[in-house]
Amino acid sequence: MNRLPGLLSLALLVGIVALGFYGLLSAGGSGAAIDWGYVWRLVRSALVQAGLSTAISLVLGAALALALARRSRFRGRALLLAGFNAATVLPAIVTVFAIVALFGRSGWIGDATRAVGLDYGSWVYGLDGVLLAHILLNAPLAARVFLAGLGAVSAEEWRLAAQLGMPPGAVFRFIDWPVIRREAAGVAALMFLACFSSFAIVLALGGGPGVSTLEVAIYEAVRFEADFSRAAVLALVQVGACAAILLPALVLFGRRSPEAPPGGIAAPRPDTGSRRLRAFDRGVLLLMAFLVLVPMATIAIGGAASLGSLVDTTVLEAVLTSLAIGLPAGLLSVLLALGLATLARDLRLLRRSLADLTGAAATLVVVVSPIALSAGLFVVLRQRVNPFAIGIPLVVLVNALMALPFTYRQVEPPLLLAAERFGRLGDSLGLRGVARLRLVEWPLLRAPLLVALAMAIALSLGDLGVASFFGRGELVTLPVLLYERLGSYRVAEAGSVALLLTLLVGGLFLLAQRVSGGFVARPR
Amino acid sequence: MLVLDDVRVVYPDFEVRYDLAVPEGALCALIGPSGGGKTTLLHTIAGFAPVVSGTITFAGRDLTKLAPAERPLSILFQDHNLFPHLTAAQNVGLGIDPRLRLDAAARERVEVALRRVELGGLGGRRPAELSGGQRQRVAIARALVRDRPLMLLDEPFTGLDPGLRADMIALVDTLRRERRLTVLMAIHSPEDAADVADLFAFVADGRVDAVGPPAEMLAPGRSPKLDRYFRRS
Repeated sequence: MNRLPGLLSLALLVGIVALGFYGLLSAGGSGAAIDWGYVWRLVRSALVQAGLSTAISLVLGAALALALARRSRFRGRALLLAGFNAATVLPAIVTVFAIVALFGRSGWIGDATRAVGLDYGSWVYGLDGVLLAHILLNAPLAARVFLAGLGAVSAEEWRLAAQLGMPPGAVFRFIDWPVIRREAAGVAALMFLACFSSFAIVLALGGGPGVSTLEVAIYEAVRFEADFSRAAVLALVQVGACAAILLPALVLFGRRSPEAPPGGIAAPRPDTGSRRLRAFDRGVLLLMAFLVLVPMATIAIGGAASLGSLVDTTVLEAVLTSLAIGLPAGLLSVLLALGLATLARDLRLLRRSLADLTGAAATLVVVVSPIALSAGLFVVLRQRVNPFAIGIPLVVLVNALMALPFTYRQVEPPLLLAAERFGRLGDSLGLRGVARLRLVEWPLLRAPLLVALAMAIALSLGDLGVASFFGRGELVTLPVLLYERLGSYRVAEAGSVALLLTLLVGGLFLLAQRVSGGFVARPR
Repeated sequence: MLVLDDVRVVYPDFEVRYDLAVPEGALCALIGPSGGGKTTLLHTIAGFAPVVSGTITFAGRDLTKLAPAERPLSILFQDHNLFPHLTAAQNVGLGIDPRLRLDAAARERVEVALRRVELGGLGGRRPAELSGGQRQRVAIARALVRDRPLMLLDEPFTGLDPGLRADMIALVDTLRRERRLTVLMAIHSPEDAADVADLFAFVADGRVDAVGPPAEMLAPGRSPKLDRYFRRS
């Protein structure tokens, strides 16, 4: 079979990442002048913030999942679920808008409380705001993962609990808690990584050295101080820290027990009768609706109120720029994934370890944060060309690589399935070349490819960091425009952009969800 | 006597209706095609099915409105009878106290029950460390400590080798004689229970189509559906 596309994909992936590292190492080589105390404070601040974000999101997510699991029928449940699902796919900068527009000093709640004589100042800038934004994105995600895990508990276990007469406490201890504990490790690692590397939220809401991440510090070092050696050292620390967070998590993922398929008719939970538990669940649902759904409603209402401001060449240009980046980035990411996956499949027949290595290359890109990679590429390219002049191709490339772990995960299993399940049958029937592609691979791949493409485009559309890194204020995508308008306190005009971006990204996720027939989590 | 008197169960996509009488202390094997309603019959008695009308009585007591845990019975499923993260002894202990607060006497009862099903000394193992047959023995041990007069088994031995299957059915038979249990056991292969069962109940199309001693039920001419099931017509 032809391995050229696969080898080219691998070469591009490894080449770009290696180039980035080369840039970082060469610029950071003179790291003698680095204030390590500053670096350590940054790391500690990011660790504390990510730890708090993750812990609170896990607890609230678990409480939400249990409340939704126990209350399987109430009016508005479907709407609530849809809202929570939508929250998990919001671009980070849109979340920032929602929080500023709602809780900010001149936000709705700020206005309302001032009207009755209370002024709580602008607490959204700082740790509180960052945590709130991270929780808004992550708690529903955790809840979704936990809910899926609880849904996979076999009907027999529920019947057994009913038959043994387990009270609610025992049901939690013997059925719910083991599921939550099992699922928590994986989802916590992902959330921690996302919050540790958070860019848009921390850039917009962090404010000062008190709350920062290495990603934001790298960006500031390059953009405002042109201090490349500091940026390089920070980027290397960032990559090292991500690897240290993710590698143990990968080990944990590997140990994850396969889920039992839900069998037959779903058995009702035996712990829905307790009145105190019902009150508790109602409280949890109300709290989460307030924390998550009210900000989302703010996007819809605030955006709709200022729809007129969309009729504007700036906005139109931003849409075109976003699409000019998102579409090719999505396409490139899917092509790379397809190339790598075919290579991995062919190698699997030769040597398993080589195939695993190819797969690892595709998924481990997640360790290389977008800003760190951008910084590395910037440093290398700076000596030869003007990086800003080739901004769009660079943003496309980095965004495509960042979506790769996800697109690869979509594409690889069906390809392998096609080979394992139908390989011999195809061989025996003499199915080859295009005919084989059309009859064997394509039917299995069509849906995952479309899902991967939609998600990769959505991911690139939501990107603020890479676009503003290489854009220098000239590459105005929708997130960049939104950030600028928020920065200049034009909250009303920001609202329409936030709504537009949400609809674009949400539409793509909805499409992916339709095609895949299931819930699609936002790749991190 | 266990009596199901015109019990109607309605699910969104299907509906069943049962009439059945089983004397106390009898072992009644439920036979019939898959999807015919054997499992639903057991779930109906255990309190897991939405009963719309009719009554279920056992020893003169009406069970129809009781919660699953209040019914005088234990049930064994085909799979997932044990919580995978608890040890065998803990799984048995749940039969004594569903919060697993066990004193020394309770722990002794667990050990005795485990010995009775020939799992003495294996109480510390988790389900994953036990064979399929051993796992079902743990579930039987739990039924023993629960000490309920009615025992329902939903093909719990179907996945086992023929010899092991015979051993397990023999164990159930011995225990029911020792404890005077009434047993309803759905089985996949009628011949497995031909020697031990007092009654065969043939369940098909959501009805109990025919009931009788195994010898009569295994002979042709009892019912057209039964004959078709055995490919005798």
